[in-house]
Amino acid sequence: MKNKTAVNTRKKVDHGIQKYLLTGVAATSVAIIFLIILFIFIESTEAISAIGPWEFISGTEWRPFNGSFGAFPIILGTILTTIGALIFAVPLGITSAIFLSEIASERTRNILKPVCEVFAGIPSIVYGFFGLMVIVPFIFNTFPNLAPAGFSWLAASILLGIMALPTIVSVSDDAMRSVPKSHREASVALGATHWETTRKVVIPAAFSGISAAVMLGMGRAIGETMAVVMVAGNAPNIPEPMWNVFEMIRTITSTLAKEVGEVTGLHLSALFLLALVLMAMLLLTNLTANLIMRNTKRKFETGQGMIEKHLPDNVKNVINMAKRPVMLSMAFVVVMMMASLFTDIIVSTLIAFACILFISTMPFISKRIRSLNRQRIAHLAMSASMIVVCAILFILIADITVKGIPALSWEFLTDVPRDMGRAGGILPAIVGTVQLIIGTALIALPLGILTGIYLAEFAKDNRFTKIVRSSIDILNGTPSIVFGLFGFALFVHYLGIGRTLIGGCIVLAFLILPVIIRTTEETVKAVPQELREASAAMGATKWETTAKVIVPAAMGGVVTGVILSLGRAAGETAPIMFVAAVGIKRHIEFSLFDTIMALPYYLYYLTEVPNSEEVRYGVALVLLMIVLSMFAIASMVRHHYSKKVRW
Amino acid sequence: MVKIYENNNDGNVITIDSLNLWYGENQALIDVSMPVMKNKITALIGPSGCGKSTLIRCMNRMNDLVNGCRIEGSMKFRGDEIYEPGADVISLRKRIGMIFQKPNPFPMTIRDNITYGPKIHGVVENDELDEIVERSLKQAVLWEEVKDRLDKPAFSLSGGQQQRLCIARTLSINPEVILMDEPTSALDPIATAKIEDLAIELQKEYTVVIVTHNMQQAARISDNTGFMYLGKMIEFDETEKIFNKPSDELTERYITGRFG
Ligand SMILES: Nc1ncnc2c1ncn2[C@@H]1O[C@H](COP(=O)(O)OP(=O)(O)OP(=O)(O)O)[C@@H](O)[C@H]1O
Ligand SMILES: [Mg+2]
Repeated sequence: MKNKTAVNTRKKVDHGIQKYLLTGVAATSVAIIFLIILFIFIESTEAISAIGPWEFISGTEWRPFNGSFGAFPIILGTILTTIGALIFAVPLGITSAIFLSEIASERTRNILKPVCEVFAGIPSIVYGFFGLMVIVPFIFNTFPNLAPAGFSWLAASILLGIMALPTIVSVSDDAMRSVPKSHREASVALGATHWETTRKVVIPAAFSGISAAVMLGMGRAIGETMAVVMVAGNAPNIPEPMWNVFEMIRTITSTLAKEVGEVTGLHLSALFLLALVLMAMLLLTNLTANLIMRNTKRKFETGQGMIEKHLPDNVKNVINMAKRPVMLSMAFVVVMMMASLFTDIIVSTLIAFACILFISTMPFISKRIRSLNRQRIAHLAMSASMIVVCAILFILIADITVKGIPALSWEFLTDVPRDMGRAGGILPAIVGTVQLIIGTALIALPLGILTGIYLAEFAKDNRFTKIVRSSIDILNGTPSIVFGLFGFALFVHYLGIGRTLIGGCIVLAFLILPVIIRTTEETVKAVPQELREASAAMGATKWETTAKVIVPAAMGGVVTGVILSLGRAAGETAPIMFVAAVGIKRHIEFSLFDTIMALPYYLYYLTEVPNSEEVRYGVALVLLMIVLSMFAIASMVRHHYSKKVRW
Repeated sequence: MVKIYENNNDGNVITIDSLNLWYGENQALIDVSMPVMKNKITALIGPSGCGKSTLIRCMNRMNDLVNGCRIEGSMKFRGDEIYEPGADVISLRKRIGMIFQKPNPFPMTIRDNITYGPKIHGVVENDELDEIVERSLKQAVLWEEVKDRLDKPAFSLSGGQQQRLCIARTLSINPEVILMDEPTSALDPIATAKIEDLAIELQKEYTVVIVTHNMQQAARISDNTGFMYLGKMIEFDETEKIFNKPSDELTERYITGRFG
């Protein structure tokens, strides 16, 4: 009896300490998250009061060195490139997703689905490099008179679209896959063709998931930095005319990337304000996405969405009737604007008319085709679009591999750079990247994993937890360039320690912290409740259950998530470009307080060194291989654990 | 235009002859033969996993949706082979409707659930669609309960109402045969009784095939009964005979609950 009491007290003390420890860690990461958000707010106050919020947003002249901070062209640039990216990526992405989910055989799908995930994980600097070496010259060669340099809004939008594609395809595919089989069977049993079932049952049922996919892709496009900087031309002007996709354009992110490293005072504060605008735009995107999703969910459950509910019937009828004409006239305007870039106004109006005529006769034509033939045509179109997506991704890989292989050699991997990077090797960059990953892991893993466990197992369902969750969400959606800005202001500007390895590690750790917290929380939560109950039933405390049962069961998922996020950190450029990295170092250092070379930044640096093409491709290939091997390891880990743990 | 599925007008709507079916390597149906007679209710009974669902899903080719499913033997609908290459699956399914075990209305309004089929098959006039909605719901004895809430989502109905909605949805395209795979197993006794009454009512105009685990149900409503075991049709006969004087010992043991 006595002994037992003693054991119990010891247990209690132990668990008290452990619990406080866990809560403390969780509080720390939450504090960090708040700190960053607060920091950005405080830093931008100077600009708000000196420039004035309205003047900042509406001013059309961005000339920081003359003291004029009109951000309108830049904000507009972000919006325009994003719209362009969506016009390119949404139709292609959704149709490919339809192919993947509804048409492809299980074998094809099992290949293409992971391919999508890998492409979503390729560093943006590699995409940017591809844009610079392939898309920009392509645009220049195709439209030499319209886009005299190739650097353009069009290039940026195509590239951003390509980058958003894997996300859109993969998430839409998930959404369509989760439509229950029973809906499909009911439709088929009524004599509907496979295609009719897809169009009339599966897509409407998956609508909210597909919208979420689009919003995710859109968020990625808005926050993307390196890829845009490298192809957009970055002139802070409003295109003339406004729909001239061949003009150079500048986004919020590219402004940050171009201007941070060298500024202080009001200019720096104005950049923080820009970052704030960027985050507000992303927040707005997310809120809209949530609204759409909740609305569709409501629509399915109660027959009408929140918005429709408050509308009188006649307004609803008008909306329903106006839908088609409005869409058609929008299409008309877009086609006319694009055509007017090439020819005069009369011809472009005619072209637009022809297009509208074609679109509006489609339903009549399609009615005359037998349903099975209609299905054949539709399936062909969906497959074609998947082929286009695959072709784009294939070209990307092939271009970098074919041109990168000649650069690879023992010397390339073991020598230091020579002749400004045109020759020699990349050893310091490899070492620097490895140092960054290790440092990042040391900071982010304990914090992130423990916080994730805390949130999943111990957090009470109260207001505080809600705030914590939403701040994690905010940080998760924060573009990487904003982390770079934050790191620059903190380490270089205030602490005055300049660019350092430790600074880079901290910033990257903050960047991946929300991802690690979330994956950990999700995997831990996915552990079946029975396991917890079984352990509790044997008299284990909550802490013992967590440590001995839950965490081991969730290990596979956590490790996979960690590897993937470290892979992401390894490829990031924007966060370290002002905080840690320099272009070239001739020797290898192991000091926390020294600058480093890193692969992604080195690739960026080389794009500004003339005649360095071969080395550039070599670096891009090495980066690609690092990221791909991270994916391979992650999927091996997943496979390993999925064999061990089963429920 | 060649007339399909119109060749015979004797009493048998569907004739199955030595049908074999494999899921991959597993044979799920072995030499099954049976008729489905016009304007009769045919019940399929047998222990779990014996192939009842598989067999009933063959009748409107729902097994086409299953990967790795292979079929040999003969199944005729109105005198035409339905598994022949080039057979018209769409019009087959239009004429042989199906009700599933779990009610599966579409996530749409009640009205849209009913008009889905007719629209697919080319009905566009609103008046005509309204007529179809009313007729189908009346036939499924659901009209009185839902006529004021046709634009509410189907999910707002109770389970039994949902199942009757699914029946109405099937009736909307005027099938000749209605296949029901354990249509009442997810329902309470009152809803079950309603569906049973409905099946008897439907039999006047339609031909019904029903899979059931409920012996009383089979005995009460069906004209013919087939007893299946391990993928084989052990005995097929008039319900009277199956339940009173089965010729096979297995059937007798199953009917009397002394099985296994
Ligand atoms: N999609 C499928 N793929 C592979 N095997 C299947 C599939 N569907 C059924 N089977 C197998 O075929 C056999 C017959 O199954 P079926 O569903 O027809 O039985 P059942 O008589 O309807 O049983 P229950 O009364 O439980 O519904 C079973 O052994 C089952 O495992
Ligand atoms: Mg069954």
